[in-house]
Amino acid sequence: MSLHVHIARLATPASTLVSGLSLTIAPGTVHTLMGDSGSGKSSVLAAICGTLAPELVFEGEVQLDGVHIDALPTQARRVGILFQEDLLFAHMTVRENLLFAVPRGVQADREAQVQQALVDVEMSAYLHANPATLSGGQRARVALARALLARPRALLLDEPFSKLDTALRERMRTLVFALVKARAIPALLVTHDAADIADPALCTHLQQRGQ
Amino acid sequence: MVQQHTTPSSSPPAAFLLLAAVALPLVWSLWGAVAAGLDAPAWASLLHDPQTLRALGLSAWTGLLSAALATALTAWILRTPHRLTRWLAPLLAVPHAAFAIGLVAVLAPSGWILRALSPWATGLDAPPPWSTTQDPWGLGLIAVLVAKEVPFLLWAALAHLQRPDVAQRLQQELRLAHTLGYSASAAWWRVGWPQVLPRLTAPLLAVLAYSLTVVDVALVIGPTTPPTLAVLAWQWLQDADPAMNAQGAAAAWLLAGVLLVCAGAIGAAFRAPLWRLRWTRGCAASTAQQAHSSALTSAGVLTLLASVYVAVLMALLVGSITGHWPFPQLIPDTFTWAAWQSVLGSGGTLWTTVWLALASACVALAWTVAWLEWAPPHWQRRTQPLLTLPLVLPAVLWVVGLHRLALAWGLDTTGAGLWLAHTLACLPYVLLALQGPYTGFDARLRQVAATLGHGPWTFLLQVKWPLLRSALCASFAIGFAVSVAQYLPTLYVGAGRFATITTEAVNLAAGGQRSLTAAFAWLQWLLPVLVFALAARLGRSQWKTP
Repeated sequence: MSLHVHIARLATPASTLVSGLSLTIAPGTVHTLMGDSGSGKSSVLAAICGTLAPELVFEGEVQLDGVHIDALPTQARRVGILFQEDLLFAHMTVRENLLFAVPRGVQADREAQVQQALVDVEMSAYLHANPATLSGGQRARVALARALLARPRALLLDEPFSKLDTALRERMRTLVFALVKARAIPALLVTHDAADIADPALCTHLQQRGQ
Repeated sequence: MVQQHTTPSSSPPAAFLLLAAVALPLVWSLWGAVAAGLDAPAWASLLHDPQTLRALGLSAWTGLLSAALATALTAWILRTPHRLTRWLAPLLAVPHAAFAIGLVAVLAPSGWILRALSPWATGLDAPPPWSTTQDPWGLGLIAVLVAKEVPFLLWAALAHLQRPDVAQRLQQELRLAHTLGYSASAAWWRVGWPQVLPRLTAPLLAVLAYSLTVVDVALVIGPTTPPTLAVLAWQWLQDADPAMNAQGAAAAWLLAGVLLVCAGAIGAAFRAPLWRLRWTRGCAASTAQQAHSSALTSAGVLTLLASVYVAVLMALLVGSITGHWPFPQLIPDTFTWAAWQSVLGSGGTLWTTVWLALASACVALAWTVAWLEWAPPHWQRRTQPLLTLPLVLPAVLWVVGLHRLALAWGLDTTGAGLWLAHTLACLPYVLLALQGPYTGFDARLRQVAATLGHGPWTFLLQVKWPLLRSALCASFAIGFAVSVAQYLPTLYVGAGRFATITTEAVNLAAGGQRSLTAAFAWLQWLLPVLVFALAARLGRSQWKTP
């Protein structure tokens, strides 16, 4: 499963944010997108997963394994995303947050998937915990497990490590990259930090327009 | 970064005096209401009265159904973002009684709907003997309560949802739910609404209390044989026989008990495991069409609601200048200003309404500002249930306590007593409206002013209050509107010696003076709207946004 993105033009009513960007991300690899604030990095991710603000104009295409997905609504694209904030739902426990992401099916199978996901992110002791009682690193791992439980065909990472301290950041980065590789899905990481780059050969710098 | 509220200006002695000034009449009234309910023979006669059970059933039916429908419609409208706020102030400003009178003019057998359909569609050439208003099932009452409570709940929800931190977080969570496979609608019901609902606990309780215990609206459009229990209690309280008065007080307490039980049951239902199972059962396939149609339906509900308000206000306006108007003519034969001349001729009524509302709103606002400025935060939290008590106690029970307070303090039948009753009614609304903006004010600005050498009063007069001008003006307008809409306290504490446009409108609604009733009801809406408009103008920022 590879992700191909071509952005001819991504623009606000006032200015062009990104133009002429083409990326092809192979399964199991993490491509990094770097750039200054306001260079349109997060808008690129929004264009891929279909959550672009209505006032933004997107001209281009997004393909997963050669199939165009840019006409599909967000919920049908099956592109997962991790934000800077963990965005765990405060009204649900860890288990419920994870079950929320598992597609409808036999309940026992869904519960088993949740437990396995928690094992994968080393959080199995926290199945029934309230997200508010978890540390930042623990919450980030639950958010990662949730994103992967929806069986995404690609994963977008919108500065998910930026709020973690140095040690946690390293650990989380290793975990994410390992899981992306294990699931054989393409991932696109947006970051400000050069230390996050998985492979220097797979890195694109976005220039702020006008610079 | 969200700044925590700190009150370097906290002054416990001043706050204590402020609290005493309000807590004393509140507790006294509450005790008066309690004492009125401690009459065993009154309870026995209440329980043996043949009307009690049916009236109680009607109250529960109309109150619970209208509160449930209002909540469901609010959630439905909130599913999709609208530019709602600009519509809410004029809708909120319509008093319940005025709305009920206007809806009667639309729905009555001689009202606008049947005139528009007659005789070509209905074959009617005279008003039919149908119970389209004051129907025995309370459907008219339910319609008024739902239409009036939805804007209030929307306003309460948006006060929370429009906070920048909350709005951004919710938007991100909904977007995340989309990426996990959920449609916009499914994401709202499982992620958005469950997080909004707990924030609406207090407004929902107020809506439930109002719907179960309302008197003025039920007098205008509610069932009559029997009426709801609140109306029955009110009739008994006005009886010349003290034994019937005691029975009325017992009925008011029975309503309070029903309210408590209903609130508990609804709270338990909200926490039922069933909902949690629904949130987490996984997503089914969804389509773009589903999201589109739900957006349309949501806008449709809002448009329908706004249309009902426009129809009601038009009916009141035209009704106030209607002369000879035989059925089924859609347009009256003649128009006349006679009703408005009568209204303006009764200048005392208008003047009483205005001075009461101005005095009550001014004092409630001044007290609230002083309280929020001087009371330590933990005092504010702990006293909130007491200060908002008039919102959740059945009005018919509350006036029993207020009446006892007025009698004990020698304020019965006096303007001062009326002013006190109205101020106590306004105060919780003003407090709830101002609390968020006032306590959320960036505390760092006080430090900046201090480092520039300015004292606390300079900071308040030149920085804080000017920046909070919009919220202060809006809170005043809310207090003014609440005072204008008061019916029971005005009649009971004023002992019928003071007429306001609300008491006149509701009392006239039972008679046949259609034009005069409509004129008073229109004025009942116009006064708060003018004050809301003035508040919006005065509260407007001097800076224009690009």
